[in-house]
Amino acid sequence: MSEQLSADIVVIGSGIVGSLAARRLALQGASVLILEAGPRLDRGRVVAAFRNSPIKGNWMSPYPPSPWAPHPIYVPKDNGYLKQAGPYPYPAEYIRAVGGTTWHWAAMAWRLVPNDVRIKSLYGVGVDWPMSYEELDPWYQEAEELIGVAGAPDTGSPRNQPFPMEPVAEPWSMRRFRERLAPAYAVVANTVARNSRSYGGRPACVGNNSCQPICPVNAQYLGINAVEAAEVAGAKVVPNAVVYRIEHDAKGRIAAVHYYDPDKGTHRVTGKTFILAANGIESPKLLLLSASDKYPNGLANSSDMVGRHLMDHPSTSITFYADEELWLGRGPQSPSSINTLRDGAFRSEHAPYRLDFTNISQVLSVTQDLIKEGVYGTEFDKQLRWRAAHQVSVKNVLEVLPDPDNRITLSSEKDAMGIPKPEAHYSIGDYTRRAAEVSKADFARIAELMGGTGLRYSAEGNFANNQHITGTMSMGNDPKSSVVDGFGRTHDHENLFICSTGVMPTAATMNSTLTGIALALRTAGHILPKPANAHAAVSNAEREASLS
Amino acid sequence: MKRMTGRPVPLLALICVFAGLYAGTAAATDSANTELLQRGQYLATAGDCVACHTAPGGKPFAGGLPVPTPIGTIIATNITPSKTAGIGNYTEQQFSDALRRGIRADGKRLYPAMPYTAYAQISDDDVQALYAWFMHGVSPVDTAPTPTRLPFPFNIRLSMAAWNLLFLDSKPFTPDPGKSAEWNRGAYLVRGLEHCSTCHTPRNLLMAEQSSHALAGGEVGTWHAPNITSDANSGIGGWSASDLVAYMKLGHAAGRAQAAGPMAEAVDNSLQHLTATDLQAIATYLKTVPAQHDPADTRAVDTWGAASNELDSLRGVALPSDPNKMSGAQLYDAYCASCHQDSGQGSFDGGLPSLFHNTATGRTHTNNLVMVILDGIDWPADGSGVHMPGFAQTLSDQQVATLGSYLLKHYGNPAAVISADQVKSLRAGGAPSHLVLLARLALIVVLLVLVAIIAMFMRRRRREAIQAEHD
Repeated sequence: MSEQLSADIVVIGSGIVGSLAARRLALQGASVLILEAGPRLDRGRVVAAFRNSPIKGNWMSPYPPSPWAPHPIYVPKDNGYLKQAGPYPYPAEYIRAVGGTTWHWAAMAWRLVPNDVRIKSLYGVGVDWPMSYEELDPWYQEAEELIGVAGAPDTGSPRNQPFPMEPVAEPWSMRRFRERLAPAYAVVANTVARNSRSYGGRPACVGNNSCQPICPVNAQYLGINAVEAAEVAGAKVVPNAVVYRIEHDAKGRIAAVHYYDPDKGTHRVTGKTFILAANGIESPKLLLLSASDKYPNGLANSSDMVGRHLMDHPSTSITFYADEELWLGRGPQSPSSINTLRDGAFRSEHAPYRLDFTNISQVLSVTQDLIKEGVYGTEFDKQLRWRAAHQVSVKNVLEVLPDPDNRITLSSEKDAMGIPKPEAHYSIGDYTRRAAEVSKADFARIAELMGGTGLRYSAEGNFANNQHITGTMSMGNDPKSSVVDGFGRTHDHENLFICSTGVMPTAATMNSTLTGIALALRTAGHILPKPANAHAAVSNAEREASLS
Repeated sequence: MKRMTGRPVPLLALICVFAGLYAGTAAATDSANTELLQRGQYLATAGDCVACHTAPGGKPFAGGLPVPTPIGTIIATNITPSKTAGIGNYTEQQFSDALRRGIRADGKRLYPAMPYTAYAQISDDDVQALYAWFMHGVSPVDTAPTPTRLPFPFNIRLSMAAWNLLFLDSKPFTPDPGKSAEWNRGAYLVRGLEHCSTCHTPRNLLMAEQSSHALAGGEVGTWHAPNITSDANSGIGGWSASDLVAYMKLGHAAGRAQAAGPMAEAVDNSLQHLTATDLQAIATYLKTVPAQHDPADTRAVDTWGAASNELDSLRGVALPSDPNKMSGAQLYDAYCASCHQDSGQGSFDGGLPSLFHNTATGRTHTNNLVMVILDGIDWPADGSGVHMPGFAQTLSDQQVATLGSYLLKHYGNPAAVISADQVKSLRAGGAPSHLVLLARLALIVVLLVLVAIIAMFMRRRRREAIQAEHD
């Protein structure tokens, strides 16, 4: 079992971010090897698992963890993989499989707003990014063209080129929200990696309303599409390769990585350049695991910042009955939102937020409520129909500030392969809690405008998590306070780069995937600069492959 | 021949027209010229020249598309007005000869991959408009694609002269005075520019269309071009003219069929751009094409099947770990049901087609069902329109066979089946043609016969000589 693997570029992690960086580098002519801890999945089998499962509401259920590469599971009970050190729970979900966590996501592909990268200068909170929004714009555009983003122009994120696609058709429920909340609130179509028409060899959304746990028709761009694009470009993927150590040489350059196969056979992979792209939890875990005599605190960690500044997007919400039939559940799960509160002078006082409307079918949750209430018989049918038609929900998506005490560390517990589990230390600060209080007025106003009855606010002090893992390997210009530089290169190791939402210094109010991809493409472009005339997002080779 | 004698006049007229244009004098000639070019462009669209003469991603009409044929791959040529790489030096007569007789300007023969046997029907007026447009409406491209190199004996282009003698009817279309103008227009388009028979008429051993079975269905590589005669079961006899027009305009006729493969290309490149009048004319004519009945079609091919499902057999049952052991119902549930719905009924508006009452599942000839599962549907070429994902990379030969047979049994003609070997062969590009081998064998036989004849002749001469000596 000691075949020698080697490549110009070795990428650890096959998620959407790492795979798109791998694709770009492979198109440049580099030999690229992607190591993925989890197994390769087949979309059809995931679809079948979901369609035939009695558990429809838990989006992790079609993705059981593999024994050699476990990931956190909380339903029906916590599998104890992501240890919780408190004080506030951080029940992050992610998938360790070829393609990564975007096997299931809402396909939200938001850009930041320009001021998100300057909140220290402008509002005296958080930190500034080592780049401007304008510098990110072309990389956002390249990312959007690659993954096929549909969006409305008026979301607060300026752009120089149009979206690749017009927005996905607006569901009836969202149309009614838009009409009834105007002019108090502008409800706009979400910016999503979901096809509103055929694009990239994938069909348009047909409204299965199961974006999570799985888009069954490939209308939504998934990590597995990125993997396949990387493979078409020439990258090789090794599944079931659980990297447990990154090896450096005497000068501090990375020489190799070591992985276990599922039988715990060991393998060493050498390369010229290494990219760590194993998400914001597994990546810092691996850096900490790779401690050596020369680097006793782990690799890339001379600043002691690896794992720190863990951020996500906590949410509070309101659920109520609108005074008209809206029938959530037709079209994508998350079609529209309010974006006017993403930025403003108030950011010196409290977090900004986005207000997001769910469009998930209410039949399941209403049924569960009615059973709990003891309703049965014809009254059950009547109530089910009425509530499923009228029940709606709005949540906020709150920014959290980077806090060094919010962090990922190594647990003393080990997984089945003998590798320490990650441990989360998390709390939700006052800056965020104040915004949750402020947003209650928005919830009340929205309910009022929709003729809402039966108002139910989420329980006081309870925040739902959004699985937007950010911050644990922050980028910055100062090697003393950050892990990577503005191009994703670790300050401590010349040939180790990080492509991950974990490098984002702040979390802003937007789902982090698109920014993660844009930063990764920028990193790839820094590793191997592309001639200006070869900047096509989709290569001819790929076009031909998609035609064949 | 009338065509020959008629030639100089329109050519002269054309020269005058362009002279007028360049001089910028007469507005009337300008508009006549514009009209001529527009008509030429429309006719070129009807002829679907672009389908073969443009490579994917290449410049229009610059050639380069490899066209696989049973006798080898033919590379489509550059037909832009480039004087170095295209047809820029062609006279109208040379253009006409290439188009309608299969003879290039240098006198060499074209292979009948170029449908000159159909284009022979084109009228002199239309040839003139086509020539005008190709010379002045198309941008010249000065790069020549690699020349076609066929295996022996087909590399001898002169062999096509003999083929033409046998199979080329070079008489232009003559209207049938007993039929309506609409019918005649339809017949002219179907037999000529649209060259429907090129795909839809079966071919004999020498790859010539069997005119006695016109439009009874033919093979186009791995795809089957179905029977489009007026037979009620096997053909389009049960279709209304508006069904046919919808199919040609939109690529699908609700509750009947949808275009895929080469037919989707024909709709994309050509048919959808025709005027409503011309589409109506084509429909009118097709409805009168003599019926060709396949006894296997015991009912109309678009009336098989009904909504049904086997969901009860799936719920709570774990998928087999070996993907090849998945049942048809399991495969349908995993890969098809999210669009075509639980019972194969498609979407309420027909945007996602029903799988029953659909020619895709109603024919005993099942290659198209396999091909659409493997390749999907994706047109127009910019990917903005109709799209069904292909499953060539996802499903094994066995899985496609299991799934396809399940679809036929539940939603289509239950007498039809799909085998894993069939899928394997189609995935690999179809059954190999033995035409090259046959031609070579035939040549060897001819040579042997010739040698035998010569030997006999020599022997006789010797015997005669010996006899003469003895005399």
